[in-house]
Amino acid sequence: MEKKIRRGVAIYSYSGEYGRSMDLEDCFRDMQDMGATGIEILANSHIDSYPELSDEYLEKWNRLCSTYGIEPAEYGHWIDTRLFRDRDMNLEEARKKLINDFRIAHSLGFRILRTKMGVIDEKLAPVENWREIIRSVLPEAEKYDVVMCPEIHLTTVLSDRFVSDYVDFIQETGTKNFGLNIDLSVFQNRFDVPGVVVYNPEQKHSEPEEIIPLLPYVKCIHAKFNKMDDEFNELTIPYKEVLEILIRHGWEGYLLSEYEGERKDEPGYVSQELRKHHIMMKRILGY
Amino acid sequence: MLERDVIQTRGFRNIEEDGEVTGFQIRVRSDYYRGVWLSQLRPGKVVVDGHLYPKEEVTWEINGKDYTAAEMAQAGDVFWRITDAAVLKIKKPGGLAQGFHDVEVRFAASCSYMPPMFDSFDENGDSLSFNGGTYKKERMLIV
Repeated sequence: MEKKIRRGVAIYSYSGEYGRSMDLEDCFRDMQDMGATGIEILANSHIDSYPELSDEYLEKWNRLCSTYGIEPAEYGHWIDTRLFRDRDMNLEEARKKLINDFRIAHSLGFRILRTKMGVIDEKLAPVENWREIIRSVLPEAEKYDVVMCPEIHLTTVLSDRFVSDYVDFIQETGTKNFGLNIDLSVFQNRFDVPGVVVYNPEQKHSEPEEIIPLLPYVKCIHAKFNKMDDEFNELTIPYKEVLEILIRHGWEGYLLSEYEGERKDEPGYVSQELRKHHIMMKRILGY
Repeated sequence: MLERDVIQTRGFRNIEEDGEVTGFQIRVRSDYYRGVWLSQLRPGKVVVDGHLYPKEEVTWEINGKDYTAAEMAQAGDVFWRITDAAVLKIKKPGGLAQGFHDVEVRFAASCSYMPPMFDSFDENGDSLSFNGGTYKKERMLIV
């Protein structure tokens, strides 16, 4: 059986410990234990020379990836459109920061970027000029061989208008440098499980099969998880159904575990939850 | 590495310049999971033993450089990393007295990917804030 779907970790998961009881190497060590082979870093969190890329960091990065057998899977960065209190970031400012991220991501060996855009409302609709911003950096994205992927995340659902707007944009421009990152929170259908952080118990959700038409554009998946039980089930998201669809449709890419539950700052807690999550994924994938 | 509390025990002391105590400093880590541009930072009050210092009286040292609140608001190219603590400096001739002090620091960060209403921040109050809040540490010692 071809192992098209790979397991990785979004080290955002360790944000309650990072810089306090864990450093970057601890994240790699933990991932190796689980047999995870891909990492997502957040540029603004995990590059200690950001917004520059120091020679020391690059050297450390290459050493960690080779020592622990882990490859760069996704580079998280932001278009912080509300950069100033009194005005939005202008196009030139956005371009400058985006191109800087492309350059750093490329140097670190990343191709897939999770490009988090500024939003204008509670449904998380992106800023009105997102097309203009993205279109303006497509030549540089091609030059640095990176694919910008907005993250589709609760409270968004897959049927929201701006998800199809992203697909239309890809089709209209024909670009290979823009895609989607689906966060599995869009399928979260339980909001009543003790120990799960819930903002809105009335939250809408998507059905697993709604991902099928989007799959050609999905470059990476955030395997969001909120609560694991000791039988290795995730209690809020229909993992088995979603992963079986991915397998059946031959989707290729990384499932990056992202823990969004409680007790993140308790040393060792998230590491244990990640292990449960990876046992679940291994069982469903069959490898 | 940093301490778990936002207000760090290490870094709290009086400031001496040319043999004279001119003020005091408080060292804080960011409470947000990602670093921010200084223009996204929302500095608020500092309270020591019940005395409130508004943001205009607090200078933030980040990456070895001092910024006033007004300067930070324009600094869209200067970055505060989560692994680097900031040092808040307040002028007060003679500094704080030897012994215990109760300290509060309030700040937050604007977050463009969350609904704009989440950016609201009450700088001298204690209302809930999405990416920030009022951080307190009691019985901090000045030697």
